[in-house]
Amino acid sequence: MKRWGAAWVAFAAAWLCLFGAVARAQHAPQMRIQLDADTVGVGDVVHVRVSASSSEAMPDDARLGATPGFSVRGQQAFPQTSFVSMNGVQSTTYTLQVTWSLVAERPGTFHIGGPSVSVGGVRYPSKPVAITVVAAGKAPQRAQQPQMPPGMQNPFNMSPFDPWKGFLQQFDPMDRAPPPEEQVAIDPKLSQVAPRGAMYFLHATVDKTSAAVGEQVLFTIYAYRDAEAGRFQADQDAGREPDVPDFVKHPLVADEKLGQVVGYAAIGGHVWEVTLAMKWALFPLHAGDLTIGPMHMGVARPASAAGPRTSESIVVHVAEPPIAGRPPGYTVGDVGRYSLSAEVKPREIEEGGAVGVHVEVLGSGNVPSAITTPARAGIEWLPAETHDDVGPKGQDDFGGKRTFDFVVRVHRPGTVDLGDMVLPYWNPIEKRYAVARAPLGAVHVTPSAAAATPGQDAPAELLPGMPPPRDALARSAVPHAHWDDTPAFWLAGVGVWPLAFGFAVAGRAVGRRAMGAWHRKRTSPAADLRERLAEATMACDKADARNADAAIARALEAASVAHAGVNIRGAVGSEVADRLARAGVARATAESVADLLRECEAARFAPDEADITHARSRWDRARGAIRGMEARV
Amino acid sequence: MSRSAVALGVLFAALLTLAASNARAADETDALFASGVAALHDGRPGDAVSAFEALADRGVVDPVASYDRGLAYVGRVRIGAEVPGDLGRAAHGFEEARDLARDGPLADDAGKALMIVRSEVARRRVRAGQPVEVDPGRSLSRSLARLLSEDTWSALAVASAAGLAVGLFVRWLGRAVRVRVGGGVAAAVAGPVLAVAVVMTLAMRHDRMYLREAVVVGPNARPTDEHGLAVPGATPLPQGARVEVVDASGPWQKVRFGAIEVRVAASSLRELARAD
Repeated sequence: MKRWGAAWVAFAAAWLCLFGAVARAQHAPQMRIQLDADTVGVGDVVHVRVSASSSEAMPDDARLGATPGFSVRGQQAFPQTSFVSMNGVQSTTYTLQVTWSLVAERPGTFHIGGPSVSVGGVRYPSKPVAITVVAAGKAPQRAQQPQMPPGMQNPFNMSPFDPWKGFLQQFDPMDRAPPPEEQVAIDPKLSQVAPRGAMYFLHATVDKTSAAVGEQVLFTIYAYRDAEAGRFQADQDAGREPDVPDFVKHPLVADEKLGQVVGYAAIGGHVWEVTLAMKWALFPLHAGDLTIGPMHMGVARPASAAGPRTSESIVVHVAEPPIAGRPPGYTVGDVGRYSLSAEVKPREIEEGGAVGVHVEVLGSGNVPSAITTPARAGIEWLPAETHDDVGPKGQDDFGGKRTFDFVVRVHRPGTVDLGDMVLPYWNPIEKRYAVARAPLGAVHVTPSAAAATPGQDAPAELLPGMPPPRDALARSAVPHAHWDDTPAFWLAGVGVWPLAFGFAVAGRAVGRRAMGAWHRKRTSPAADLRERLAEATMACDKADARNADAAIARALEAASVAHAGVNIRGAVGSEVADRLARAGVARATAESVADLLRECEAARFAPDEADITHARSRWDRARGAIRGMEARV
Repeated sequence: MSRSAVALGVLFAALLTLAASNARAADETDALFASGVAALHDGRPGDAVSAFEALADRGVVDPVASYDRGLAYVGRVRIGAEVPGDLGRAAHGFEEARDLARDGPLADDAGKALMIVRSEVARRRVRAGQPVEVDPGRSLSRSLARLLSEDTWSALAVASAAGLAVGLFVRWLGRAVRVRVGGGVAAAVAGPVLAVAVVMTLAMRHDRMYLREAVVVGPNARPTDEHGLAVPGATPLPQGARVEVVDASGPWQKVRFGAIEVRVAASSLRELARAD
């Protein structure tokens, strides 16, 4: 019993382990990891896609894990639920597709992840994936787009002339599921940094941004549709072709072929279906920075994505081919690669008769619509009949054949050389001029009596009396400097003479005024006072008292004129003080001045010998009085 | 080898290259001119036109090249191979030759040829019922200015300025009455002469630096508005007419023809080259 009991316990434990493993296996989602490339260059974008399916619950919380050597640009998750009914048994599958966009940052081999998802609160990891990063541009070409299944053919079927043709009728394919991952190959050349619009956008490209006048510029517009988004409706009124007024345009793709899927791009974590919306060969008409306008389209529904869609405006720098080496007869705009052939029939005619000249211009480029005929005397070229057989050549070129059928009348007898048909052109690939040439050969013209006799209605000579040509260049048109371009001419040549006279006159007048001012300054009361003060000081320093008193009296008189504006010379008695007082001098000062004058006069004319000491004392008082008068001022 | 020796060597090589390039360009010019002249003499005006136009493309400004180019276009008209615009281009060549010519006979020949071409244009316009005026001539002031060259006007300005100053000084400082009167007369004459000479010098300089003239080479230079729409009732400018370019911006250039100002397609005009 004991042994049986132990066996039962062991069996139950084994059963429980087995059941648990099975149960766990039932909950674990099926995970599949895909890379669009396992070797990429630095700067390239690589997409890691994880598809997790579970019958229990929707997987969520997808995590990529470690991304050494890469930076994550974006992540996009697509949950999907599918129901299957088989033999009355219904089953549900929950699938989560997550795409991460990674940008390679440095060379090396890196292990990404492993990615993990959560189902029912349990996280399920998967194995890391290895990606090798090589130097930029060294990565191998990625897989090309595989044959698309019928359901994935272009839903747009766009034409630039009827861009929405069939769009609405065919756009139910938007209901279809996203393309299976294994059926889509991402073309990195079609990738963008970011989508230019939700669900649908336009992208314009040119094969070159600088060209010669007349050189082909390949202009392409791609339409990008989010392959995993729902249906949308176009705005029929918003469609408009690009505006290219400065170019001659030739469509390279027939309308019915527009809208073909050209590949798939991965942008912002979405897969975008890329279709060809327009492909033109553009030929610049003139030099300059010429603008190719945007193409316009619009999305009407859903409202979340509604709005206009425009492609980029593109500026092409256009210049004329170089002057150096330009052959005679070159016409700006003749760019491409051409050959010429010509046929002349018949070779023998009568004078005044005609031959037919058949000229073919063959090549790639904007085949010239006219060709210059070799104008020669006695040969009359009638206007040509032109036939065109030009159009797309291959995928990206425009060209073909243009024929010119001339009727040429020969008006002179003998062996007449018709000359050469010549077409100089600029070869943009080889960056040099070339000349396509077709010799026409000679025509034997037999004289005709009818042609030799001028009729009465023969046209009069045109432009008679022309002077003869010159046979040597003059080489005289050499630019030379002109005197009047220099400031020296105007200043030293023209202006200096009248200026000299003006300066002389002005200088004389100024000199006179300066002299007058100086003279007036010299004879002013203040100057006179300074002179008198100096004289008095000098006189007092000497021993002659009479002379000192006279100088003091003159200084006081000069001070009264300078400071009070009063002349006290000749005044007697109290008149001195009165005059000064009336002039605003303090009475005491005025009295002092009067006293000093009296004392000086008395000393000067005293019969006794004057004392210089007294005179110096008076001078000291006089200076005080003068300061008093000055203070009044 | 020292650095200076290397630098000298590089400089010498650069000079040699420059000289060789100039010599090559001169050779090419001479060859083109010779082929054009030969074509003219051989009765191949089409080839002559190509050769002389190639010279013009290379920036060769020479009165003889312009004159012979005009003759080449005339030759094409005369043999019945006229291309629309040939008469205008012929007139352009002769106008250019007349402007550039330093020797009288060439200028006379160019003037004569120009008159013949314009007569033919006038004859055709008469047949078409259009006004026959092809050359309204220059304005009076411009005609006066062009009586003398810019350098001559400049020299006259300097001389008259000196004369004016001397006259004034003499008038001012002279003591004898005769001397003072003489100085006054000299100043009175030199003053106006100086004013005229300065104005003419400035006018000539302005023309040299800013005036752009062209010849109508399009056979149907119809006046338009600034958007290129033909002005109703306006008569096309005559082929071969000399016009002053007032506004060269855009594809429709504003030109002055006599007293009228109109816009015409830039492609129907060809600017006159100048030695300066």
